[in-house]
Amino acid sequence: MRIPRMRFPTFGPTLYGLALVMVVLGVATPFLPIIVKVQLINFLLFVGLAYALNFMTGLTGYVSFGHAVFMGIGAYALGGGIDRLGFPPLLGVILGAGLGAAFAVGIGLVTLRFRGVYFAITTLVVFLAAKNIVPEISELGGGSGIFMNLGFQPLAEFYTIWTIVVLEIGLTYWVTHGRLGYGLRAIKSDEDAAKTVGVNASRLKLILFGISGMFAGATGAVYAWTLSAVLPDTGFDITYSLRMLAMIIIGGAGTLLGPFLGAVIVYVPYNYFQTVQSLLGLQLAVIGALVLLIALFIPTGIVGTVRRYVPTLRRYVE
Amino acid sequence: MTARLVAQNVRKDFGGVQALRGVSLTVDEGSVVGLIGPNGSGKTTLLNLLAGAEKPTSGTIELNGRRTDGLPINRVVGLGIAKTYQIPRPFLAMTVRENVAVAAMYGAFHRKAGEARDDAGRLLSIVGMDRQAETVAAELTVQHRKQLELARAIATGARILLLDEVFAGLSGDELARSINLVSKIQKELGFGVLVVEHVMRAVLTLSGHVVVIVEGRTIAEGAPQEVVHDPAVIEAYLGTEVARAPT
Repeated sequence: MRIPRMRFPTFGPTLYGLALVMVVLGVATPFLPIIVKVQLINFLLFVGLAYALNFMTGLTGYVSFGHAVFMGIGAYALGGGIDRLGFPPLLGVILGAGLGAAFAVGIGLVTLRFRGVYFAITTLVVFLAAKNIVPEISELGGGSGIFMNLGFQPLAEFYTIWTIVVLEIGLTYWVTHGRLGYGLRAIKSDEDAAKTVGVNASRLKLILFGISGMFAGATGAVYAWTLSAVLPDTGFDITYSLRMLAMIIIGGAGTLLGPFLGAVIVYVPYNYFQTVQSLLGLQLAVIGALVLLIALFIPTGIVGTVRRYVPTLRRYVE
Repeated sequence: MTARLVAQNVRKDFGGVQALRGVSLTVDEGSVVGLIGPNGSGKTTLLNLLAGAEKPTSGTIELNGRRTDGLPINRVVGLGIAKTYQIPRPFLAMTVRENVAVAAMYGAFHRKAGEARDDAGRLLSIVGMDRQAETVAAELTVQHRKQLELARAIATGARILLLDEVFAGLSGDELARSINLVSKIQKELGFGVLVVEHVMRAVLTLSGHVVVIVEGRTIAEGAPQEVVHDPAVIEAYLGTEVARAPT
């Protein structure tokens, strides 16, 4: 007798694997000691940032040094929302996401006219402008920022950033596996040729920049929530831009698994170094050296390299 | 309705250089028009204007009476005009099938991803590349890249194809096969085709009508055999003395 074949939706092992990790984290976290909860929140903040940048730089190939700006916008949205408008934190995060997307689209309308290294430079200019303008705005607390008296809410923070990461992973999968993904890969490969077969490159890039800004804004808002404060220095910190880039370069830009792997590899030493007095401050040097080695020897990152040289794993890693 | 592409009195200046000084041309669906001229005469420029890659300085370009000059190239593709690159520009990191599928998704047909992959498979067998379907484009030979370029243009669903020197660099068997392929596809699918070409054999075999441009102006047009015997054309290609020499 033939057994009728069961039909499961085929999402691929990478997505199932990531889903499993997220479900385990989501179920287990309430029972973990508080110190682990805090570390997991910080780790997921890194993951959230990595996927956020992956939408733009990973999928379109446009390098952005300015993503810390959208983090900062999200942070200030949360701070302003709570402090001035009396929002609950979750609403502040949603406002951060909305403003992150709005600013990204607005900035993108101008800066996405540039390509390659010129685009990268404009993102850096936008970052420097924001960093210098925001501390001058007294409504945003000027140079001393905004302090919120939120108390310690680890579970609320955890599930907010957990939800953001789940949405990012799902959306990354959806974008890379559909029509949009084909268009983006064409743009990344040869933008002019992509237009020649009908791809509306300007619109696609703007959509991705908007999504990217939205998630960076949301993550930045949760980051401010964990600090219970928004400061110009931590809101607009270029090292966050660099960490985001490091994570997707190490893991594999434009891939589904890459940003998660990259976040693990960047977060672990970052966290460890902070606990060892003699190593404090060295984390960026180590990450920088790692990025250099990856860029020199395996420019497609871990996921790209595995897919290329280990054909048996190609089906499982994307 | 059959498609008709009409360019009228098209001029294009690049700074002080007048690349085109008023060229008119019509391509009807189902017909093949050859565009020839010496190097630097403005052929590729004209093709880029027709495709929407650049804007004419003056003059009009219409598809079925609708102005297309000034529209971005991706919109023009959506209306049914597609061009190939002289030097093929496949999406190197994607497979041959994916290259063609992108065009089916974003061209005039707006296919869904799954349908587009099926379309791509059919088209690849038409251009004789079904065995390369899963090859990454970076690994293709020049000949295959050219065929892919053609398949991709067809996949956009265009009714008018603008082919920029698809036969350049081919010789002997390859050339004969390519000419047959283009001719077969054109007849089967009924496209209007503009071939910009240096290879006379290809132009003369394929085209029903030939336009000759020199230094941005049309100097002759008509049936292929008439045009190649036109003294002005011979002069442009070979110089004055040859044109005057008794034959």
